[in-house]
Amino acid sequence: MKKEPRNEWSGKSRGGATGYLIFVFIIKRAGLRAAYALLSFVALYFIPFAPRATASVWRYSRTILGKGRAASVLFVYRNYLNLGISLIDKTAVSAGLGDRFLFEFDEPANVSSILSGNSGAVIIGAHFGNWEVGAPYFGKYGKRMRVVMMDAEFQSIKKVLEEQKQLDAFSPIPIKDDSFSHIFEIRDALERGEYVAMQGDRLTPNGKSAEVEFMGRRALFPLGPFVLAARFGYPVIFYFAVRSGLRKYRFHFSLYEPAKRQGTVRPETDILNSYTAYLEKTVKASPGQWYNFYKFWL
Amino acid sequence: MIDAALIDKINNVLAEEFEVDIQKISPEAPLMDTLDLDSLDLVDMVVLIEHNFGFTVVAKDFVGIKSFNDFYHFINSRIDEKGAKE
Repeated sequence: MKKEPRNEWSGKSRGGATGYLIFVFIIKRAGLRAAYALLSFVALYFIPFAPRATASVWRYSRTILGKGRAASVLFVYRNYLNLGISLIDKTAVSAGLGDRFLFEFDEPANVSSILSGNSGAVIIGAHFGNWEVGAPYFGKYGKRMRVVMMDAEFQSIKKVLEEQKQLDAFSPIPIKDDSFSHIFEIRDALERGEYVAMQGDRLTPNGKSAEVEFMGRRALFPLGPFVLAARFGYPVIFYFAVRSGLRKYRFHFSLYEPAKRQGTVRPETDILNSYTAYLEKTVKASPGQWYNFYKFWL
Repeated sequence: MIDAALIDKINNVLAEEFEVDIQKISPEAPLMDTLDLDSLDLVDMVVLIEHNFGFTVVAKDFVGIKSFNDFYHFINSRIDEKGAKE
């Protein structure tokens, strides 16, 4: 384990509450098509005006996916477009327009068994696809979904959640720099039989990390979600929601099962290895829905 | 007065879990610095206490614990409370 700042994310996502609220207004007043149309221009704006993010997508396209220059220009635009579509779609779903979408489920029986039981569960996702669009789906099991996120990120979306009366439904557990309270909140939520959702692909400031081979190159992954999952002893489910067409999503689930012969591998490392293997398989099938806009690979 | 056997048990459990030379542990030594604890290690600490001493801890339990001596008193008082309830 080591502390490694090289590809560190600041803890705050780009795009403020005002931007979100403009899209919420357009979706409600003019519909989804109008929001998508506006997005096609906004995505263009981000190419020159978000230079660090653009550089990271460019590197991802050229180095990791091996695309040529011309293909990469198109890829950068499509990547921003995909991100915008996912933001619009999750906003629409949370605003009660879920019936306009088609959702398909790739949910193995062992995952259904866990979700329909009384136990809490750790759900590990990624900044890939559109995991929030599936959050209401977990509600069908009648359990609360607690979302662990950096406090800075939570503060930036709090206004939006309040505006949409989603703050209680979203139930965030903010990670504060000067407090360990989130650890106890996570444990207590799991003991109450709730789901605790965390993203397993983004480093937090000063957080411990592990170097893993991912998509053909070394990358740093945060250890926090995997240590928590390993220590508290609750079922661990990997979950990704991938857009498979216009207003169409496919939810992928996989239950972590410990390796039979771990040897000297620590439990958190074993969970991390299983996670990155499943994430890599899913990202390779939909590479344009990868949204880590910083220097991810070493 | 805290039982010497309990102090030995705490020291041994902490030294083993956090891979620290037991000789570095003394009542007045700073707990966090000596064990080199960060927030993830605190997860281990929470689980360690629950497994070895049989009670659940909450966030406010850690407020005010600076030295090993503070930690011994915390564990001892919670064990006493648990015994009184039983």
